[in-house]
Amino acid sequence: MATRALLAVLSASPPRMIQTKVSTFSSSSSLSFQRHSRRIARCFSSDTNPSVLQPPDVSRLAETARISLTPSEIEECGAKIRQVIHWFGQLQQVDVSCVEPAIRAEMEGGNLREDAPETFENRDSIRASIPSFDEVYLKVPKVLNKE
Amino acid sequence: MLSTLQPPRSLTLLPFRRLHGSKTIASLASASSSPTLDAAASVSPPPQSQILATRRSLLSGETTASEIAKSHLSRIRLTEPHLKCFLHVSETVLKEAQEIDRRISKGEEVGPLAGVMIGVKDNICTEGMPSTAASRILEHYRPPFDATAVKRIKEMGGIVVGKTNMDEFGMGSTTEASAFQVTANPWDLTRVPGGSSGGSAAAVAARQCMVSLGSDTGGSVRQPASFCGVVGLKPTYGRVSRFGLMAYASSLDVIGCFGSTVADAGMLLHAVSGYDRFDSTSSKQDVPEFESQFLSMDSFESKPLKGVKVGLIRETLEEGVDSGVRSATQEAASHLEALGCVVTEVSLPSFSLGLPAYYVIASSESSSNLSRYDGVRYGNQVMADELNKLYECSRGQGFGGEVKMRILMGTYALSAGYYDAYYKRAQQVRTLIRKDFKAALDQNDILISPAAPSAAYKIGEKKDDPLAMYAGDIMTVNVNLAGLPAIVLPCGLVEGGPSGLPVGLQMVGAAFDEEKLLKVGHIFEQTLKGSGFVPPALPNVA
Repeated sequence: MATRALLAVLSASPPRMIQTKVSTFSSSSSLSFQRHSRRIARCFSSDTNPSVLQPPDVSRLAETARISLTPSEIEECGAKIRQVIHWFGQLQQVDVSCVEPAIRAEMEGGNLREDAPETFENRDSIRASIPSFDEVYLKVPKVLNKE
Repeated sequence: MLSTLQPPRSLTLLPFRRLHGSKTIASLASASSSPTLDAAASVSPPPQSQILATRRSLLSGETTASEIAKSHLSRIRLTEPHLKCFLHVSETVLKEAQEIDRRISKGEEVGPLAGVMIGVKDNICTEGMPSTAASRILEHYRPPFDATAVKRIKEMGGIVVGKTNMDEFGMGSTTEASAFQVTANPWDLTRVPGGSSGGSAAAVAARQCMVSLGSDTGGSVRQPASFCGVVGLKPTYGRVSRFGLMAYASSLDVIGCFGSTVADAGMLLHAVSGYDRFDSTSSKQDVPEFESQFLSMDSFESKPLKGVKVGLIRETLEEGVDSGVRSATQEAASHLEALGCVVTEVSLPSFSLGLPAYYVIASSESSSNLSRYDGVRYGNQVMADELNKLYECSRGQGFGGEVKMRILMGTYALSAGYYDAYYKRAQQVRTLIRKDFKAALDQNDILISPAAPSAAYKIGEKKDDPLAMYAGDIMTVNVNLAGLPAIVLPCGLVEGGPSGLPVGLQMVGAAFDEEKLLKVGHIFEQTLKGSGFVPPALPNVA
């Protein structure tokens, strides 16, 4: 399928791809490759060093994320995660030193509602969804005064 | 000018054409591929709004909501064993339809969506109806409230037919990552419908419902719309309240709309849009009356889009895009020119960076958002003698492979010492992408591109290759990063399946300018020669 070819473009040589892509916007088709290259040369960051980023330790990540994994899952999932994280690595070569991060799309502010408690009427339905419940309490394994 | 629209198709009036004699849907699934690209789109009239058809036929007494409901339920019963679009079909459809009929017979007012049969993606909360996001961890979960979008639909008389299948929590591009079933593409049952809103797209394509809601974090409405030959509308971030949408990546998620026409998708969007005090990211901007854009073909001038500036995104037609998709997009550009548009090529230099930036951001935000599924307050719980063990086992057994993988990748990207290198850097790339889009849209009214690099591919083809799957999202993720509105509508067919596979054209607009997209999209759709993208392989209900 063609998307495989696309993947090859995307993953085979990330630095080359970034060299041809990172520049400011141009609406014409006259941008020359040399112009791209000059920009890229300026855009390469000097303050990032991908080599200091350690590959993921899947068992440790699973523990942090509170997800139990079987040994075969660790093996299978680990290989895929390492592949994707390696692919993420191309971002290290983009010069973003003067660029502010955007936490989301531009939007108006001031839409927060008043921070006041309100009564939710359908409480029984909430209660019905709780797997383990006793009177007004959620039940979980004992966490205090364990022997 | 709505009254000038031609009588739209309805299920009872215009059953699906049988292109293959008496063949059943099952026999077509195994039929050898013999592309006949003109078969499905040769003589069809322009597609007509099902919402307007319903409104007109109910108010004129031509039909009843109960008849419409029965017709759809019958089609669902007939096609669902082959398609598997729905995880749950509502038990109250007929009752709600009867109530609408009662009100009409008494001369009472009914809402603008009265009797409209609507599918809702399973990650959008529906009170008293299962809402699982296609995940085992939420199996049997019934929310105590309606999402704001669903509430608004119901207030306008819309009938929620059921909950549609999806990739678990929206993480996937094929709907194969559902914990419960794999949905088939109505154009070829051996192919995926796209994803993650594959059930919503396929259900509209198969006319199991008239319109549907989906969600779009990186293309999850637009790519399945392309694969299934329907219209998919991703609104501006903030246009539609996300209250009641199960969060995946909060800075990107939007609720979107599917329809078999641009008018239907636009009218559904109008119904669900607007500020909601329960979602602080929802916008207070006015929601225009989109219906005024859906003029009748009779009223079109010879160049109805004269002077509209269209930018064809150069990077979306480069290596890796199927030749058929490229041709269909270029032909669509020519069609826009014929309608009076001025089409030029534009470059978005940051375009290819969007894909890794998107996956860093989406994975990171998902690792935080999905921490709420711990088996304690709702969903499936695996008992254990220690609290952390309870969390780990509930999540380990409740989440599917792709969800676990993305949570772990996000956990990695947000780890101490890695945040700047991944999440922050991806957000900086998002700034570059926004700037590129802004510059391109300062010079153009809309931008166009393919909706996906290929048409629908075979079930299982990319299931075990995450990067191949992710690569398919390259046309759509940037639009989410920029928070812009986009519409995908069918523009052609390519070889594949029993009678060709649809290809979608993506139109991207400036923030909160859905109106322009709907206008251009509607005129494009109504004037496209050989339009009428109805899957050929569906049996006739009538």
